[in-house]
Amino acid sequence: MTNTILKISTLCTLLFLTACDKSTIEQPEDYQPILTNLGTNVILKTYEDLFNQTEILVQTLSALESNPNDVNLESARQAWRDARRPWEQSEGFLFGPVDQQGLDPAIDSWPVNQPDLEAVLNSPNTLTKEYIDGLDGTLKGFHTIEYLIFGTNSSKLVSDFTTRQFEYLTACAESLHGATQSLYYSWNPSQQNFIRNILQAGQSGNSIYPSQKSALEELLIGLITIADEVANGKINDPLSQQNASLEESRFSANSKQDFADNIRSIQNVYIGEYGTTQGPGLSVVIASKSSTLDTKVNAEILAAINAIESIPGTFTHAIFNETSSVIEAQNKVRNLQLTLESEVLPIISNL
Amino acid sequence: MHTTKLYVGILLMAAFASCQKNDSAPPVIDEDVNLGGGTSISGTFINSFQQPAANLNTQQLDLHRAADVAFGDIFVTAPNEINPGLGPVFNQNSCENCHVANGKSPFPANSGELRGLLMRLSVPGSGIHGEPVPVPGFGGQLQTRAVFGKSPEGTLSWQTVEQIVQYLDGEEVSLRKINFSIDNPYETWPANVLLSPRIAPAVIGLGLLEAIDPSDILALADESDLNGDGISGKANMVWNVEQNQSQLGRFGWKAGQPTLKQQSAAAYNDDMGITNPYFPKESCTGQAQHDGQTDDPEIDESTLLAATFYAQSLGVPRRRNWDNPEVMMGKQLFSKIACADCHHPGFITGPHPEFDFLSFQIIYPYTDMLLHDMGADLADNRPDFLATGNEWRTPPLWGIGLVETVGGHSNFLHDGRARSLEEAILWHGGEAENSREEFKKLNKQDRLALIRFLESL
Repeated sequence: MTNTILKISTLCTLLFLTACDKSTIEQPEDYQPILTNLGTNVILKTYEDLFNQTEILVQTLSALESNPNDVNLESARQAWRDARRPWEQSEGFLFGPVDQQGLDPAIDSWPVNQPDLEAVLNSPNTLTKEYIDGLDGTLKGFHTIEYLIFGTNSSKLVSDFTTRQFEYLTACAESLHGATQSLYYSWNPSQQNFIRNILQAGQSGNSIYPSQKSALEELLIGLITIADEVANGKINDPLSQQNASLEESRFSANSKQDFADNIRSIQNVYIGEYGTTQGPGLSVVIASKSSTLDTKVNAEILAAINAIESIPGTFTHAIFNETSSVIEAQNKVRNLQLTLESEVLPIISNL
Repeated sequence: MHTTKLYVGILLMAAFASCQKNDSAPPVIDEDVNLGGGTSISGTFINSFQQPAANLNTQQLDLHRAADVAFGDIFVTAPNEINPGLGPVFNQNSCENCHVANGKSPFPANSGELRGLLMRLSVPGSGIHGEPVPVPGFGGQLQTRAVFGKSPEGTLSWQTVEQIVQYLDGEEVSLRKINFSIDNPYETWPANVLLSPRIAPAVIGLGLLEAIDPSDILALADESDLNGDGISGKANMVWNVEQNQSQLGRFGWKAGQPTLKQQSAAAYNDDMGITNPYFPKESCTGQAQHDGQTDDPEIDESTLLAATFYAQSLGVPRRRNWDNPEVMMGKQLFSKIACADCHHPGFITGPHPEFDFLSFQIIYPYTDMLLHDMGADLADNRPDFLATGNEWRTPPLWGIGLVETVGGHSNFLHDGRARSLEEAILWHGGEAENSREEFKKLNKQDRLALIRFLESL
């Protein structure tokens, strides 16, 4: 049967060629190398990194519970920041299992449900991973851990922790690690293999992407979505309302890093790199149509990252005292969003 | 062998089509390709239901983006500084956690994680405006979660029963029926409770459905079946809380809500326990678990309007593969076996009082917005205003072919029992029984063609 189809395909290709005037023939591009690289070396690697870093977070919080001291507290805080990085760098591709399997709420719900968290800590309930798994997303995940290990004003000392908080933190990190494992395994080709939808886009039997183009559109729209969220949500809400409590990673003072990593997520997909792995990204498609636009996108990505990182002091401080720097960063992200939306998207949509 | 022929056919068409680029004549396209009129957007990907309408102006686009935040906002227990007011009892903590990626909720994998499934409740009879009568101690909906220290009103469990349906050609399909039970009620479960399971629908195209002139919907109604086609079509008349009057029902599985704003306000109140200007009392008011707090309403008018506007201003994805011969054949069959008599293809929207992008749009939602008796097998036996226990509002079909792409599942119907479009068709009874029987008489090729048409929507 395959052979028959192959023969017919060849025949049809010949028909295709002979039926048309030569000047109208456009050889369809093969975007397989881009999709393979972005699926395998960017998306999967990011989730693998997240899975590994949350395991370290479990280890450091477990060590802190066993030996509460300043060194172990700082290790745990650093492990939180290190785990946060791949998560924020995954937010450029927030589609598929992360949503469909309800994992995002378990990993990154915001805000923390502080009244209920206090009530759970004051309850006699045994704090295990399974118990935390069953709680609402606003009582677990990154932000609950952040709230407990950093405190509300960055001055929490080891002596400020209760035994119940230590127990809660370890169980909560185990639960977070479990959710990141589900996420990594859902994409992993040797597990649930969601990645095949990207790798085999346009092939028969692909229930999501009828063409390679539609997979590229998905990837690009993911980038536009996160640029929009950083500029018009994450930066804009606390800035426009002059309200630091609307800042997502306020307790850890990690917001600038979060935002920059969100833009790096765009960069990773655009240029096809994550960590030490590299290959073709969306940039290859754009550069082949307009090298000027490709240069512009790359420059705007860097400008956005630089502007975010150049905001003086913490983001909490800056929204009140360095508003021009914050607005500058917001504008750079908006520029990038606009370029992706009004110049890059039309190219991908018309492939 | 047939598939091979089809394959050749498609490739030949593709070869042919590719030569027409230089021709001056515009390509002939099917009239309903732009299902959502000017709001229609392109693309087949998981984010398809999250794109703003294509015809928003810059100001409306900014408003849509701001509104997206409200739709995603997660609520927590009062008196939290941010987003307080969740519960005390609730089903979900944000709009987005039922309407994941704005799509239809899957049937849950287990009773511990219900996602977008909930259970409506009432006792027999109707209230002063014709509404369902709440169950003492439980209200109109079973809230299956609670803030810490309160009890869920109960939990849901279910058993599935498979039943075999046979086509005329002998092929068999197994249908899954779901029998629900309420477990662990927080207080004694009263007698005579009527249950209606509901799955969260996709939220695209709702502004357009709201903009259809009522007279265009009422013109399709034929409550006494005067034309004798076996299909009645009845408008639900429901209570508009803001205007304090009866009005055509449009939203919800039984068209129990007149406007998108009221639908959203009811969802805030019943699903999340968030009081608002429309429904300023907690869903558990008068019950043992009421929090006694005086923080109502917990969201203001602007938040309610933002969540409403977000749904109003989403784009409807265009049809795909509309020019595929199999799809074109399926579309003809869809009309021929009278599916289109209830899944009414097109309307031209009326003037929308607020938003020009919804006005005078040529749309193809494939619904008549009316109630139909769908037979005993689909019945919930729970009346909702004028809708009887057998009646459901024809759900729109636009976007139905992207449900699996967006949500990663292919569960359909009000309780998510159908595991495929084919199963959903085979559940149709009552006024749709003739169409279902005609479908069962089709040969496999024609049955597949009809499903391919649905997948193109």
